[in-house]
Amino acid sequence: MSHMHIPDGLLPLWLVLAGWITTSVILYFSMRKVKKDSLQHKLPLIGIVSAIMIVGMTLEIIPMAYHVNLSVIAGIVLGPSLAFIAVFIVDLIIAMFGHGGITVVGLNSLIVGAEAVIGYYLFRAFLGVLSNRKLSAGLASSLSTLFALVISSAFMVGIVYVSQTNPGITLKSDKQTLAEKTLSQELSTENERNSVQAQKVDMQRFAKTVSLLGIFGWTLESVITGLVIGYVFRVRPDLILSKIT
Amino acid sequence: MDIGLIDYFANRGNSFFHRASPIHKMAFVVFLLSSIVITDDLMLLISIYLMLSTLVILAKLPFAKIISIASYPAVFALLFAVASWNGSWTRSGIIVFKALSAALTMVLLIVTTPYPSVFAAISPFLPRMLVEGLFLTYRSLFILLELMRNLISALRLRGGLSPRRYINNIANFSSGIGLLLVRGFNLSERFYGVMKIRGYDGKMKQELYIKGSGREGLITVAVGFLILLTSLAMRFGSGFDRYSVHILSISVLFVLAAFSFCSFYRNRGASWKS
Repeated sequence: MSHMHIPDGLLPLWLVLAGWITTSVILYFSMRKVKKDSLQHKLPLIGIVSAIMIVGMTLEIIPMAYHVNLSVIAGIVLGPSLAFIAVFIVDLIIAMFGHGGITVVGLNSLIVGAEAVIGYYLFRAFLGVLSNRKLSAGLASSLSTLFALVISSAFMVGIVYVSQTNPGITLKSDKQTLAEKTLSQELSTENERNSVQAQKVDMQRFAKTVSLLGIFGWTLESVITGLVIGYVFRVRPDLILSKIT
Repeated sequence: MDIGLIDYFANRGNSFFHRASPIHKMAFVVFLLSSIVITDDLMLLISIYLMLSTLVILAKLPFAKIISIASYPAVFALLFAVASWNGSWTRSGIIVFKALSAALTMVLLIVTTPYPSVFAAISPFLPRMLVEGLFLTYRSLFILLELMRNLISALRLRGGLSPRRYINNIANFSSGIGLLLVRGFNLSERFYGVMKIRGYDGKMKQELYIKGSGREGLITVAVGFLILLTSLAMRFGSGFDRYSVHILSISVLFVLAAFSFCSFYRNRGASWKS
């Protein structure tokens, strides 16, 4: 639910570039860390977990485009570095289906990647607090997913706030502001309405909409994550404990 | 997202767009996305969308299906349009059509180009490890989709997914994903074993999938470049705005002509026989 489904061309170029640069830097360090580890062994695992995330996204739990991200599960089973790489691969592939803009893959990876990384550390913390591991693995993952999703959604709203984007016309707005300053005031009333005011997003309304739509998605994903981790813990506890301990 | 269907369209089609080289198609996508990003004219955005629709028709792809696949981002574009509503329908239209046009551009690429070719085309711009990750994800995806499909069928047959038993359904569905995860792990171990037997030493030998016709590719690039030029002219040129209605009319004509041509091509001889 925290996916940034902002289409191409709505965010300012500097923010899009900043997203790509930050993602590239994180990917570089993640890959360096993995290379030190055993890259050969991990690569098929990254492929599998990325594929599971995509499969999860293809399954629409209820109509209105609600689907699970499984990013926290990726974080728990892969660890933060590998999970970030998996998230980038997933974002790149789903952008090819038009699921979120291709230019915002960098920002999208940061948001969903944050979800995976925060989820992993919160899971570790909750598991430490709750003493009975077998009983609490599901609960810990569920709680960590809920918090991670709320944080990543807030991050998404923050990005939109920073961009001061409003749709559509960031570039035109820049151009018109310059034109207004230097040339003339010949803009038509309708154009002004479309561009100059468009620079400001009604953040309150946007945050409210995201929260209202998000609450259901966050709850659903946290319940599913809890049940999935609970199941894996019963069947193959080594898959999770080896990462966490 | 019906990934299996998208892959089927990409591998089975034989239109001019399917035959074009992936690198040319990537250039087409870059031109189109640049046009969509820089333009702020609703008429031009609708024209770009109609032009892409024309290409979908000419590529002999199922029109309604492709349009529905590419309409997914419209839901989220509407969310942004609502959040930033200032009384201007034009601006909301720009948001929605930017999303729809960009999505249709990407979908057109992916339904006419097999994934390995797309990955091969972008491989010079990505680290080797990510490219290998993309290939392995693609390889695993269809195995896992098949597993999930079988699992859902089994759950349905045994009453695990029944109407109006939502809590039960979610619990069973989650167990299904858990099982997929466990099987996925086993699969990754097997993958690694097989790769090792075949001489994997940390680097996969990549076959180049970049093949395709140059002639069709050049036409594709030319179309993309023309759209980009139009977009640039409308954006930076003075007085070009007044032509947007004409461009829209031409786009509508293109769509109608493509529909007529394809239906004539499909039904040729049928009326004579009857």
